[in-house]
Amino acid sequence: MAATVLGFGALTLVVCVLAPLAGSTSIDLAKVFDRTQPFADNVDAQVFFIARMPRVVAAGIVGAGLALSGVVFQALLRNPLASPDTLGVSAGATLGAMLALTARADFTVFGVSVVPLATFAGAVGSLAIVFALSMARRRGTSTTVLLLGGIAIAALLNAAGRFIQYLTADITGTFRTVQWMMGSLDVGSYAPIVASLVPFGIACAGFATLPRVLDLVSLGEEAAEARGVDVVRTERLALVSASLSTGAAVSLGGPILFVGIIVPHIVRLIVGADHRLVLPASALFGASFLVGCDLVARTVASPVEVPVGVITAIIGGPFFLWLLFRGR
Amino acid sequence: MAVIQRQIGLRAKGSGLLVALALALGVQPSALAQARRVVSIIPATTEMLFAMGAGDRVIAIGTYDHYPPEAQKLPKVGALIDPNVEQILQMRPDLVVIYGTQTELKQRLERARIPYYSYVHKGLADITETMRSLGARVGAADAGNALASRVERQLADIREHVSKAPHPKTLIVFERERRTLRNIYASGGEGFLHDMLVAAGGVDAMADVRRQSVTMSTEMVLDRAPDVIIELRYAKDDIDDTDTTVWNRLASIPAVRNRRVIVLTGEEFVVPGPRVGEATRRLAAALHPELRW
Amino acid sequence: MLLEATDLAFAYHGAPRVDVVDGVSLSISRGSIVGLIGPNGSGKTTLIRLLSGTVKPAAGSIALDGTPLAALSRRELARRVAVVPQETHVTFDFSAIEIVLMGRYAHLGAFALEGPDDFAIARQALAATGTTALESRRFATLSGGEKQRVVIASALAQASDILLLDEPTTALDVGFQFEITALLAGLNRERGTTMVVSTHDLNLAATLCTELVLLRDGRVLAQGRTADVLTASNIRQLYHVDADVTFHARAGHLTVVPLARAE
Repeated sequence: MAATVLGFGALTLVVCVLAPLAGSTSIDLAKVFDRTQPFADNVDAQVFFIARMPRVVAAGIVGAGLALSGVVFQALLRNPLASPDTLGVSAGATLGAMLALTARADFTVFGVSVVPLATFAGAVGSLAIVFALSMARRRGTSTTVLLLGGIAIAALLNAAGRFIQYLTADITGTFRTVQWMMGSLDVGSYAPIVASLVPFGIACAGFATLPRVLDLVSLGEEAAEARGVDVVRTERLALVSASLSTGAAVSLGGPILFVGIIVPHIVRLIVGADHRLVLPASALFGASFLVGCDLVARTVASPVEVPVGVITAIIGGPFFLWLLFRGR
Repeated sequence: MAVIQRQIGLRAKGSGLLVALALALGVQPSALAQARRVVSIIPATTEMLFAMGAGDRVIAIGTYDHYPPEAQKLPKVGALIDPNVEQILQMRPDLVVIYGTQTELKQRLERARIPYYSYVHKGLADITETMRSLGARVGAADAGNALASRVERQLADIREHVSKAPHPKTLIVFERERRTLRNIYASGGEGFLHDMLVAAGGVDAMADVRRQSVTMSTEMVLDRAPDVIIELRYAKDDIDDTDTTVWNRLASIPAVRNRRVIVLTGEEFVVPGPRVGEATRRLAAALHPELRW
Repeated sequence: MLLEATDLAFAYHGAPRVDVVDGVSLSISRGSIVGLIGPNGSGKTTLIRLLSGTVKPAAGSIALDGTPLAALSRRELARRVAVVPQETHVTFDFSAIEIVLMGRYAHLGAFALEGPDDFAIARQALAATGTTALESRRFATLSGGEKQRVVIASALAQASDILLLDEPTTALDVGFQFEITALLAGLNRERGTTMVVSTHDLNLAATLCTELVLLRDGRVLAQGRTADVLTASNIRQLYHVDADVTFHARAGHLTVVPLARAE
């Protein structure tokens, strides 16, 4: 079965190598790597290295980040339908982005502009609130509290967002927020990618310790505890890692739905339930999946682009119907 | 006569005999209309009404109607998505100028027997057409026609002035995320921004895209390689933002190489109203600095 | 004494004071099967949780082979005490052997992979519970009795000194109940596994357990050998039910037949 993970790795490699070669405009590969022309004059090279490459890398990181969070949330909440959105992350991220877009705030920190920063803060902030709520009730039902708390916080944040829109009566702010919500991987530079690697890297360090304990925790808190797992510590670590990973992904590409649900499911159908396979395979498949979706998004309706969130939704909707009718 | 008037919801001035005669001659009832209490919730039409001297008939304007200054003292009753219907009805207008898409508002006005003028936002030619028909509708037909002719002359002069000059491939960006090149909205090959660009002597880089607005990806911008990029700034809070250094990343674009990323500020660029001639002139001057303006 | 609990006290936060444990002392000797009997809310499950270390007592102490429970790490504790819950709900599509192998966590930790020894132990556990044929089957597709046997196998894979079972047959039909009872008796006989079984089923207690602890309102009403403790009088005190407790010759153990409500 480890061979399957290697298989996913190979798939990701192939997809990531081929994706920058395709696009809505045609470029000449020979010209791309032609060193004799200065970069500033080389359109083909600029398209390849400024327009496409960062996009593929961003899609890979966002896809992996969302898929990993999805796996972790599904194990934590013991619910195969859970996703990074379940606990109100999207609502928090959207509120953050909306405030930044409406206020037209204008500053950058280490080359990262205010919208991704606000998005990250919103995503992590909302998860922190839900997390704090679940820690207030100390035993046994903490995942129930997580779930209910997440729904409540999501509703609250959505309402807050609408209220702010109503107060400011700013139609352009609303419009920009709606556009942002469709997701976009067109980062155009490496600065936001590098910035997102900080929380994402920390998240991955956390994820690396989790696979086996996630198997056990998915049996139930007491069942895991009885087998020797420090459940409270595991849940905290899992939640923090998943928050950082989701926050990084959403601040880089916007709230792209369905990746966090679809990818873990498909991966489990192929490799089984063992998280020691599911976790790495999901990261790899998530990356390939989103790179693929973005490729479709930027080529299918050429010369205009379809927002990548629309593509994942088009795949996600029927996928869910299929899940529903699969003989449950 | 009174029956006909009520049915068409008019308050016609002049004798009933005149109306009967007009109807017999096939003249449209609206041509006889005189509106004295006009509500306009659209920036373009508000500007038009004031520019044609009918500002004294306007009793309320829209939330985003920032021009002309003499209109600002009037009450603001909402706009496209949030028209304050109660307030509008309370003011007992005899004409409300609304967007063609505001179906709910239309229904409310019909129920209240208040006439409305339905405005559609399209190309440059529609602007002058609207000036004429709106002028006629409020009973200021001559003023409306004069205004339209003036604008048409302005545009014709500009077209003539730039006709011999080279026409640069131009991208008009009217929206993007601050400090980055994300979520760039450019004018597509349709709509009044496109028409303005053509009148101003530019070739539209996005002419083949049959839409009023296009979301530009980095790849698209690089591929289109415009000679000039015009950035429009019109919102209150970013009117002072003239920073275009973010574009330097895309060094292969002629507009960047030749330092022809130009910021044009002012609401007249996004309000398809009487100032469109002035806006087109400023656009043309930006595109053709070599000419005398 | 393998497991010694002294003056245990515990209460959950929250308004209704149920499942409280209030001054319970008991001793469990190696190789015995001790039954915990009592009405709903008497503290049986709480006691199991205390004995397994899942909750910490508010007062009192528990010692395993002389070592206080609190001094053991979670994994050490899991190597010494295993728990079989009443029901196991498995979210993902694990196979039976994967469930059993999870019992090896206490010995392996988060990073070590299962080796051939671990697989051997797991297979032995499956064999001991008669579930060898189910090894590759998806746990979710198994019958109630099969599931419970696999869960017991998972607990056996922990290779612990003690097995705590929380109402192991309550959710099963009489056929499966019989199966599990026979299994547990067999394990005790062949492997000498020490067990603590909480149950509602007085007949199960009569069949399986060598000793009983009767709990009422978090306190020990009586404890001792089954024959001594399982009396009509005690049953009346616990359940307010008049029952007939007789030795069933063919079955070979006491049987309890409830007759009427007592006041």
